[in-house]
Amino acid sequence: MGLDRRGFVKFVVGGVAGTLFTPVIWQGLDDAATWSQNWGWIPRLNKGEVKATSALSKLCPTGCAVKVKTVGGLPFAAVGNTENPMSKGGVCPVCAAGAQLMYSPARVKSPMKKVGEGKYEPIKWEDAEAMLVEKLTPLKGQDGKIAAISGDETGSANEVLSAMLAGLGSGGGFHVMPGEMFTATKGVKLMGGNGQPGFDIEGADLVLMIGADALDSWGPTVANQKAFGATRPTGADATAQFIYAGPVLNNTASVCDKFLAVPPTATTAFSLALANQLISAGAVCPASDFGDYKALAAKFTPEEFEKATGLKSEVLKDLVAKIKAAKAPLVIAGASFGQGAGALDFVAGASLNVLLGRVGQKGGMTLLSAAPKAIASAADRENAKDAASFLAQVATGKATPAVLLVYEANPAYALPQAGDMAKAMGNIGFKVSFSTYMDETAAMADLILPAPHPYERFDDAMNPYGVAKPTYLAGKPVIAKPVMDVKDPVDVMLAAAGKLGLSLGFETYADVIKAKAKALGADFDALAAGGIWNGELKGGALSLGAGALAKAAPVKLDGKTVALAPVSKLAYGTDNLATPPANLLVVRDSELLGKDLLVQMNAATAKTLGVTEGNKIKLTAGDGEVKALVHVNEGVAAGTVAMLMGFGRSAWDQFTKGKGDNVYKILTVSDEAGTGLKVWAGSTVTVAKI
Amino acid sequence: MEEKKQCKGCGGALPFVIGFVAALIAGWVLFPDLMYSKKTQPVRFSHKIHQEQGLECAGCHTFRDDGSFAGIPTNEKCAECHSDVQGSDPAEKVYVEQYAKTGKEVPWLIYQYQPDNVIFSHKAHETLECTSCHPDMAKNDTPPVFYQNRLSGYSKQTMKMWKCERCHAENGVSNACHACHK
Repeated sequence: MGLDRRGFVKFVVGGVAGTLFTPVIWQGLDDAATWSQNWGWIPRLNKGEVKATSALSKLCPTGCAVKVKTVGGLPFAAVGNTENPMSKGGVCPVCAAGAQLMYSPARVKSPMKKVGEGKYEPIKWEDAEAMLVEKLTPLKGQDGKIAAISGDETGSANEVLSAMLAGLGSGGGFHVMPGEMFTATKGVKLMGGNGQPGFDIEGADLVLMIGADALDSWGPTVANQKAFGATRPTGADATAQFIYAGPVLNNTASVCDKFLAVPPTATTAFSLALANQLISAGAVCPASDFGDYKALAAKFTPEEFEKATGLKSEVLKDLVAKIKAAKAPLVIAGASFGQGAGALDFVAGASLNVLLGRVGQKGGMTLLSAAPKAIASAADRENAKDAASFLAQVATGKATPAVLLVYEANPAYALPQAGDMAKAMGNIGFKVSFSTYMDETAAMADLILPAPHPYERFDDAMNPYGVAKPTYLAGKPVIAKPVMDVKDPVDVMLAAAGKLGLSLGFETYADVIKAKAKALGADFDALAAGGIWNGELKGGALSLGAGALAKAAPVKLDGKTVALAPVSKLAYGTDNLATPPANLLVVRDSELLGKDLLVQMNAATAKTLGVTEGNKIKLTAGDGEVKALVHVNEGVAAGTVAMLMGFGRSAWDQFTKGKGDNVYKILTVSDEAGTGLKVWAGSTVTVAKI
Repeated sequence: MEEKKQCKGCGGALPFVIGFVAALIAGWVLFPDLMYSKKTQPVRFSHKIHQEQGLECAGCHTFRDDGSFAGIPTNEKCAECHSDVQGSDPAEKVYVEQYAKTGKEVPWLIYQYQPDNVIFSHKAHETLECTSCHPDMAKNDTPPVFYQNRLSGYSKQTMKMWKCERCHAENGVSNACHACHK
């Protein structure tokens, strides 16, 4: 009995028919459909308990007290902490993206050493730490050979860094990135006072912001916004007036009761012209220099005011009437983009508070005395030296450090004349970047030591700039194990110091923070659980700063030059952080079109410059140059061009790299007359059509 | 030629029947075994012993405060009793040494694992007996074999959508997509 072709076909057909009566095909199809749910690239949920844990998110300069929502121990969202009296449940747009940023592709995943131009290879932590010690060892005891730049304004990490440098013989090598906290504190000294200025927005019934973008990117923005919101009760009249006098109709100005378009070059003139009108309207002050101040202010006549600001003098009269009618007026002066203003701009604005008798009053300006230090040998915060001046010295050979430690800062991107600053950094033999993200500075470092994300670390914030009373926040890790191979930079530095024979009295950053809390009389556990420590104000008097203001020199513009007003929007990132991917969705076409940044100016300025909407132009200042498209916007002050900050990134990730241009390239540094401080808030640029 | 056309040995329906029957046997007897791999749990957990110690099911399989179901307990719960070896059972030693002391969670194989696109609320089904859907584990001394589908990766016991729909239909509960797929 054989099997021929026909028989075989019958057998196969029988087999196929039989198969139809089995689960083979049907279950196979069903399983295949289910299998398609399991392709490797499909994201998987992390299942487990959903919790909300308190954290200090220092992604923004002030730091937000947030609740981090986790599932199975991994963060998936950040929300405001309603129990925190400072943020009252609010969260800034950067910290709101905190969970996404923890998994960012721009994170430095492990220690890396440079092996060629733009080339890095991962190394083990023990090798990385050994390399750091090896580079520091021969420099111990040589003054000026080790330098550090910190981008953290409020953390106790600065105490460790400065004390470590002092212990290694380079005590003068500690520098901070520019921020208004430092210039304002110097301004207070020029007014005969001491301490960091604070502003009680919550208690004021009229808030005049001269430059300071207090409802978006200046100071404790979330607390400021909450204070603003509290004056706008639903269904009732506003209980306070907010007035913004600055170069651009920004997010702050757009919600204020009044916007006065003041060019960035005319901030001091605006303040002193207002002082003149207030004095004319009867304002007097017991300060010893009132006579000199009055004489100085008298030079800023309504005509001078019109010339400097481009505004009609009637706005001054209206403003004086509003201030006189207010019971608790408050003036906040600052650069519209949070840095680069001179101390005199601050003094001119703050002197109005003195003139109105608003220093130390509820709803007025306050003075916060220096907080006790955790490490006695650390540098005093008010004496911090600025990184821009330091790198300028490196460029000219006046400073010759062999090793530069960069902590949570991005000086290669976020300093005025950024191109020159990056070049100066290139002169330093060995650069170490302690960074969470692959930023522009990390991308030129010789050794990159990845820092934890805020949810993975201990950290603290002492007196964020702008708070009205002494304030301390602290946080601890939210997750058990960092998602990247990171180490806390402070722990690394403490270990390196130990190997160099230097003991700072602590082994970990957590210990430093706990000691700081103890020195303040605060309970660390309560702080880490989302609490806040507030100290008492000690008071203090101020002069009107007439002596310092007398040296203020007006900025002169010619026909081809216009004032540059960088615009800072917190949602678009900070100096240390490129725009969070989620927030790129809110960038408008009138700000960034494709890969082109738009430069904004009013129609009169456009006409003067001979450009129209959509023209491609080149803005130059010093050696820097930026290309952009023209967008006509009547919300920009006369003789001023406005440009967004935070773009033109050359590192980071695919979401932010190569979009727009970096406005820092065309911010030019000059010496402030009378104080010698480096300033760039009143930078000017030349515009040419291309 | 004539002989070839009328092959006696291979004529008729016999080859068809043989093929048909062979396919049925292969499909119903061999295929299920081939389709599933057999796996055992990383730790031989005995529900029986724990029940004999007086533990209730809900003592370990708890609802959280927000109403979500914790499912299988984590180390945090197990280590309340087993941070160190208590008895002489080698399985306990395996758990303590490999998981409780290292902080590593036990990679339990989940018999009723549902994909991410299914939102199953144990709270909404709380009135049903656990054994309506799960096998009765109370007397179980050794965890049952885990049959894993080689293609889909799911357990053989994973409840399919038609079962959910049938129960919903029988009990007058909505079968709208959003009832389970949020």
